[in-house]
Amino acid sequence: MEFGWTPEQKALRQKVAAFLDAHLPEDWESIASQSPGSPAVTEFSKQFCPKLAEAGLLASHWPEEFGGAGASAWDHFIVGEMLWEAGEPRGPQYYNVNWIGPAIMQYGTAEQQEQHLGRMLKGDVIWCQGFSEPSAGSDLAALRTRAEREGESYVVNGQKIWTSYARLAEFCFLLARTGAGKKEISVFLIPMDRKGITVRPIDSVVGDGDLHEVFLDDVEVLESERLGQEGLGWEVVRYALNFERVGIPRYALALRTLNRTVAELQGSASFGEGAQIAAASAHSACEAARILVYEAVGQRMKSSPDTGVASIARLSVVRAENQVADFVLDWTPQLFVGDEQPMVATHHKRAISAGIAGGAAEIQLNLIARNVLGLGA
Amino acid sequence: MDFDLSSDQQLLMTSFESLLEAYRALPVGSHGYTLYSKELQGELAASGFLDVAAAEGFGPLEAALLAEEAATSPYGAELAASALIGPLLDGAEGPIAVAWGLGEPVRYLPQARTVCIIQGDEVLVASPETGAIREVDTVGAYPMGALEKAPSNAATLDAKTSAAVRCRALIAIAAEAAGLMRAALEHAVQYVKDRQQFGQSLGAFQAIQHRLAENAQIVRAARSLAFRAAWRDDECSAASACLYAQNAMRKLIHDCHQFSGAMGLTLEFPLHLWTYRLKLLQGEAGGRAGQAALVASNLWGAS
Ligand SMILES: Cc1cc2nc3c(=O)[nH]c(=O)nc-3n(C[C@H](O)[C@H](O)[C@H](O)COP(=O)(O)OP(=O)(O)OC[C@H]3O[C@@H](n4cnc5c(N)ncnc54)[C@H](O)[C@@H]3O)c2cc1C
Repeated sequence: MEFGWTPEQKALRQKVAAFLDAHLPEDWESIASQSPGSPAVTEFSKQFCPKLAEAGLLASHWPEEFGGAGASAWDHFIVGEMLWEAGEPRGPQYYNVNWIGPAIMQYGTAEQQEQHLGRMLKGDVIWCQGFSEPSAGSDLAALRTRAEREGESYVVNGQKIWTSYARLAEFCFLLARTGAGKKEISVFLIPMDRKGITVRPIDSVVGDGDLHEVFLDDVEVLESERLGQEGLGWEVVRYALNFERVGIPRYALALRTLNRTVAELQGSASFGEGAQIAAASAHSACEAARILVYEAVGQRMKSSPDTGVASIARLSVVRAENQVADFVLDWTPQLFVGDEQPMVATHHKRAISAGIAGGAAEIQLNLIARNVLGLGA
Repeated sequence: MDFDLSSDQQLLMTSFESLLEAYRALPVGSHGYTLYSKELQGELAASGFLDVAAAEGFGPLEAALLAEEAATSPYGAELAASALIGPLLDGAEGPIAVAWGLGEPVRYLPQARTVCIIQGDEVLVASPETGAIREVDTVGAYPMGALEKAPSNAATLDAKTSAAVRCRALIAIAAEAAGLMRAALEHAVQYVKDRQQFGQSLGAFQAIQHRLAENAQIVRAARSLAFRAAWRDDECSAASACLYAQNAMRKLIHDCHQFSGAMGLTLEFPLHLWTYRLKLLQGEAGGRAGQAALVASNLWGAS
């Protein structure tokens, strides 16, 4: 057991910091406050990701045979943590490099790899994730969207909801039912401009571009657009989401927001004992989340089975995120209400969904109770 | 970064666990408020575990690993401060007690051969003289005593050593609290598995599962923060780990007692041995305000 970074990892942090200094424009914080799926950030990501790729920081952890540099997944995690801290200038494109690309490497045909991986490495393609449906949220296996076989192709009918980035996405990583059994589900990689797909944005407090409805009416999908074998959907999803075991390193932006808020209080000489207790407590909650996320990352890196630390880490992240959001509301309500510090709004919009997006926190509690504590009916 | 024990750390923990084995069994019947074990204290001293941080290739992290583990035993014996602070004090004899002020009750003072008296930035080290200690009758599950004044043999440590002692004293609290919380939770979880009501075990109720799962997060976080603080051995990490534990323990104590029902309030049920030790740690070293002030001055230059 040891908690240090290697000299190479420290150097990488410096490299990323210098890269961000050089490539984030002055008004970046107000762009970022429009959230990752907004037109502004999506557009920005298409300028930013190619530069990130050129600096070898977009997908260095991909194997060389697929155009990566075979770097350690720790390296990719460090980059991801620092970019989230900066307000996620990759916009929706973090999906591509984190899990959609790796799923295509594992299950895709040579043509699928050829078609999709290069675009992802170039840094100018947007994907969305079509999992949730009106009647299938936490209970994803209840999904109803059907892909019916017709010769060499499928006809897809159904509806997705909460689909982030859908309006501006070129492709969707879509889950659809290919049989009557509860688990007979397959994954399709479909272009969003295909006839029969309608996207409707949903106004929300999380910001523009993050929530949509996607209607699929008699959408024709080719067999060659199915990822992996028919009925293998759960396995593909499990494989892909294993890369997302720990979710977003939200504590990083939370800490930055906390530091900013504390500076504001100090500026007005109002960082007294009460605020110090609240700030230091929120800080320790963020550090708890960080250390548990590192533990979950380390476990995945060693391909060790998940001992429950991933669920614990996710829960910890939600708590830390909320504690910082509450610190802002308690001690600097003017920053939440006003527009002087766009980063505070950025953080709040993201924090509000921390316990829901990517799976509800209560589902993690169920998993911890069962897998860590051995409780259950 | 590596969260698994190294092979040396594994060997250390295996032999430590075998020493503790004899002190795992829960006492039968009422066992009073404090279950101090003179035998365990003696074995700790004789076995050399108190000196682990001074051993080749080891340091404060290994002392914290032992402290966390030792705290899970229902039997009390001082290890955390002795193993973490001892190596900083040339030839000081354990057990070591840490007094955060004169006149106040101090854990393990009646047993201590060495006492560190923390007075602001300064640390005094002394051997308590017989008769100078007032034993304190307590419901807290540690043996307690108070020093009315500094012993005549007290020596003031230099500034650097004083700072190091204060830092290690906080790490000792954090590691001990992490182990106590782990043991209390394990006991409460076992209870809800065994206890049948409404025709099923209490652990089958989701309301109970969720609250215990929240505590599992607290336990893991407190452990990892304590170990990282020990590895880093700096004041900010130490105060932060301590603060995390002092914040989180109130919920854990409450929930563990809540789900143990009336049984959990008896002195036959060992839960209080961990929770009433925790209660004494909750306000130690200045409590949350004390730790927060240290974190705020280190991170944000606050005064
Ligand atoms: C900002 C944001 C972005 C999203 N982006 C996408 C996306 O791109 N693609 C996509 O497919 N989905 C997306 N989602 C959807 C997300 O995956 C779902 O919201 C999530 O899985 C929960 O489903 P639900 O909202 O239907 O809640 P429900 O399943 O209706 O649950 C509501 C609440 O009930 C509680 N609950 C549910 N089940 C249990 C249980 N078994 N035990 C105890 N409590 C329970 C939880 O508190 C839960 O929050 C996004 C959501 C958000 C908020």
